[in-house]
Amino acid sequence: MTTESVRSALPAALTEVSSGRTELAASTRHACKIYGSGDTAVTALDDVSLELPPGRFTAIMGPSGSGKSTLMHCLAGLDTLTSGQALIGGTDLASLTEKQRTILRRDRLGFVFQSFNLLSTLTAEENITLPADLAGRDPDPAWLETVVTKLNIADRMAHRPSELSGGQQQRVAVARALISQPDVVFADEPTGALDSRASTELLRFLRSVVDDLGQTVVMVTHDPGAAAYADRVVFLADGAIVDELDDPSKERVLAIMGRLGG
Amino acid sequence: MLRVSLRNLLVSKLRLFLTIMAVTVGVTFVSGTFVLSDTMVKAFGELYAGLTSGTDVVVRSEAAYAADLAATGGQVRPLDESLVAKVGEVPGVAVAEGSVFGFALVLDEDGEPMQPGGAPTLGTSLTDDPRLAGAATFRKGRTPSGIHEMALDARTVKQAGYEIGDSVDVVLRDGRRSFWLVGIIGFGETDSLLGATLAGFDLPTAQKVLGKVGVVDEVDVMAEGGVSASELRDRVAEILPEDVEVLTGEQVAEDGTASVRDSMGAFTTIMLVFAGVSVVVGSFVIWNTFNVLVAQRRREVALLRAVGATRRQVLKGVLLEAAAIGLVSGAIGLALGVALAAGIRSLLELIGVEMPTTSPAVEPRTVMAALAVGLLVTLVAAIAPAWAATRVSPMEALRNAVPAGGPVSRARRLAGWGVIGAGIAALAVCAVVGNQRWATVFATLITFVGLVVAGPTLTRGMARLADHGPRGGGWRLAARNIARNSRRAAASALALTIGLTVVAAVTVTATSLKESVSEAVSGGNRSDLILEPAGAGLGISPSVADVLRARKDVADVVELRESAAQVDGRSALVTAMDTDGLDRVIDLGIQGGSLDALEPGSILISTTAAEDLGVRVGDTVTVTFPETGDIALTIGGTFNKGSLINTNYLMTIPDFTANVTAPLDGAILMNSTSGTDPAQAKAAIEAALVDYPNVTVNDPSDITQKAQDSVDQLLGIVTAMLLLAIVVAILGIVNTLVLSVVERTRELGLLRAVGGTRRQVRTVVRRESVLISLLGAVTGIALGLVTGIALSRSLVAEGVSTLAVPTLSLLTYLVIAAAVGVLAAIGPARRASKVDILRAIASE
Repeated sequence: MTTESVRSALPAALTEVSSGRTELAASTRHACKIYGSGDTAVTALDDVSLELPPGRFTAIMGPSGSGKSTLMHCLAGLDTLTSGQALIGGTDLASLTEKQRTILRRDRLGFVFQSFNLLSTLTAEENITLPADLAGRDPDPAWLETVVTKLNIADRMAHRPSELSGGQQQRVAVARALISQPDVVFADEPTGALDSRASTELLRFLRSVVDDLGQTVVMVTHDPGAAAYADRVVFLADGAIVDELDDPSKERVLAIMGRLGG
Repeated sequence: MLRVSLRNLLVSKLRLFLTIMAVTVGVTFVSGTFVLSDTMVKAFGELYAGLTSGTDVVVRSEAAYAADLAATGGQVRPLDESLVAKVGEVPGVAVAEGSVFGFALVLDEDGEPMQPGGAPTLGTSLTDDPRLAGAATFRKGRTPSGIHEMALDARTVKQAGYEIGDSVDVVLRDGRRSFWLVGIIGFGETDSLLGATLAGFDLPTAQKVLGKVGVVDEVDVMAEGGVSASELRDRVAEILPEDVEVLTGEQVAEDGTASVRDSMGAFTTIMLVFAGVSVVVGSFVIWNTFNVLVAQRRREVALLRAVGATRRQVLKGVLLEAAAIGLVSGAIGLALGVALAAGIRSLLELIGVEMPTTSPAVEPRTVMAALAVGLLVTLVAAIAPAWAATRVSPMEALRNAVPAGGPVSRARRLAGWGVIGAGIAALAVCAVVGNQRWATVFATLITFVGLVVAGPTLTRGMARLADHGPRGGGWRLAARNIARNSRRAAASALALTIGLTVVAAVTVTATSLKESVSEAVSGGNRSDLILEPAGAGLGISPSVADVLRARKDVADVVELRESAAQVDGRSALVTAMDTDGLDRVIDLGIQGGSLDALEPGSILISTTAAEDLGVRVGDTVTVTFPETGDIALTIGGTFNKGSLINTNYLMTIPDFTANVTAPLDGAILMNSTSGTDPAQAKAAIEAALVDYPNVTVNDPSDITQKAQDSVDQLLGIVTAMLLLAIVVAILGIVNTLVLSVVERTRELGLLRAVGGTRRQVRTVVRRESVLISLLGAVTGIALGLVTGIALSRSLVAEGVSTLAVPTLSLLTYLVIAAAVGVLAAIGPARRASKVDILRAIASE
């Protein structure tokens, strides 16, 4: 598999070191999220502790309602935990104000959503540089160049989203997620709206972003094929981590998902 | 479809509220105007009926023509008092009494004039026969009798704090006199007649102090039992000389009511013009709202079409929704109008114009007008959007995109610019040619139509400019949003354009007028001091001029009097001045003939009036006075209108006095003898006139200031009226912003997710709002400026000789418009900043 060969290019030693001694890119400790209260309370996350080392590609899987999206939202500062901690680097998100969390998202995180990733009034380039624009900064031109070349969208920069294919739109979204050289890129079902060719292409790009650019990617997905591109898969069911898998293959992921009833 | 339509209405309460308000403001204006004027007419009808209830018939001189009561003060040619006895001898007459009225200014205890705002200061004779008094009754005390006694209306007594037995000073035609207060009069439940002050005397005293010795203004008659009013009228008519008429009390009351109705008619027309502006602006807002609604509901409409709704049903659905909004707005506007009318009445009473009390008059016409305006405006404005809704293809149900206006076609762009160009060119021609009032208005309308057509293009142009605003300030996002919905933004801006065009045009014209007044005063005036009645006073006692003439430090005294009249059948204001010293107090700007030709039997007329009437120096014109009828005067010369005195016709005092009973001076122009210190002269004259507290002594700079103040006051009132139209436009902008925020929920959520702070999201919305407001302001002020210039030039014949552009005021409007943009954005921006990020980015 191509994935295997790409991954083998990653210096194994670096991974070892980062998982052990360097700071984690993101993590949760005893994360709980309860919606509502009293009789109608629904537990979405139940004591989830998760460590995401830098420079790694992690997939979060689970059946519908397993809490995987909630976990990602809380980890990304889009939502808050009921109890426990969610950290980006060493920063406890609960200690931040809403505004500080927004700035943190802008400067230290990247996002790729399933669809509706781009502002239709802005060109591809303007969409990519939006976080920098919001910060009132000029993006690093060399990095911008690297990212758009890597994602093969250099010739689409002046186009509006409506003039791009679905795959191109998602790549522009990935480029935007990378523009601030974030601590973590969160991808929420990034291939959900794409056909299989575009999906494969996008997953390869995500893989190479980790391998070649040293970025950290966390992807929520329910597609075992997509999860197979990750270094590690974390399985969620009923709001709790039920299994983990390093160096996943599609078959092994499928087997576990089958057991979980996803 | 009906159910779908009605449910649509309730989806967004805020939107519904804003939409309804946009129509309601105009309807309120319309219905409030009608209710107020109907109520006044009704109240005065009741009051007049009450006042004349004791009088069966009234004998008085026939007016030469039906002049406006407000212009003549109701004065008709007095009758010889011998007629009273003759009428009394007519069989069936129980009582016949003469009565007179005239000028009497009551002073309070500090010697300050009791001058109600705009209402007359009346002196009159009072009957001692309670049968004739009608609704006017003595609240306290008794009928005055003799040269030292007087009664006052209850309101004046209350305000001045007088009591029975006090000595009260009154300024009369022949100077200041003191009387003992012996009676206090009320009129039914009301304390005064429309806020007028009323000083009552017995008949001989009234005749003496009001300048009507030996004459009466009318004869009030009561019939013996069993003789009807109309029967008595016919009997009295037989003994009357020519030019004297006899009316029943009812007819007199009706005449009075009719004159109130007439004066309310002018008020109604003016108010309806302002209401019209609000309604037009409101229709723009509605048009825009429905455009957006249809755009937002394209998928829903497509779905309806897909499941089998016909185009006709879709059209009907949208129009039904519009009709519902229109009717509700009409009903709310009607209710608010009744409240507004009550509010204005209270306000008038607060400033001293007391209204007779009655229940509010809501005529069927008012209800019809309110509902019709609400319904029609909404329906007409919704037709185009409704038609657009029928063009939605069922296939669109399957697509998901933020609706965006298509590109503006080249033809439309060219047409828009072409029409704007033509309109501006026409305005320029009007400005150059001058005196083209209607053409100016028409050209402005044309230009506005051009703006409507080219609006989206203008919007895009502005958006391109804003796109280059500072990074991170939200300018780019705001600009792009506006460009995406350029038609919507243009329509919102144009609603503001309407109001600002009128405000700017009025401001330019008023400034030019002010400038012209200053020039007229400095150019036309040669006098040292000008005496005028204080406040809204009727005039100055002629005895003031006698006081001045008796002084050694006064060289020239020229009295000026004015009256309504007709010249060659056209209504006009005629002015009379003393010829002695005339050219030393004023430069009339004589064009033809000469000033010396002004003598009894001749008249000077302005060049514009000469042109209008088609007459030249040496021709004869017929001046018809309401009291005395026709006199023929020879044109001695022509002069430039728009100098110091704003009149078209100037005649001599003797000719004037022969035709107007008991005239007062409208102004007195005077020169001090040479060598008198101007500052001392003014103080000396003021001291000499201590008995005439209603006279103000002005030097030329005071006159300029006064004239400018009155222009400013007028400008203030007009601007306040137009403020409502601007409020409607602001509602429109708020509405557009809210709708645009709602349809961009996902985009805003995304913006927040990738690191846009709440403040930044608010900023984007605010920038949009400011851009729309500025577009409306810039186009409105620009068009208003050009219109104002053309309008000023169109009034050259009316004395607007100078053109002045109030740059500071116009810039202020621009700043206010930007502030309005910020204000309008507060709600929508808050809403935008509170979008739920998770819901916005959730996949479907």
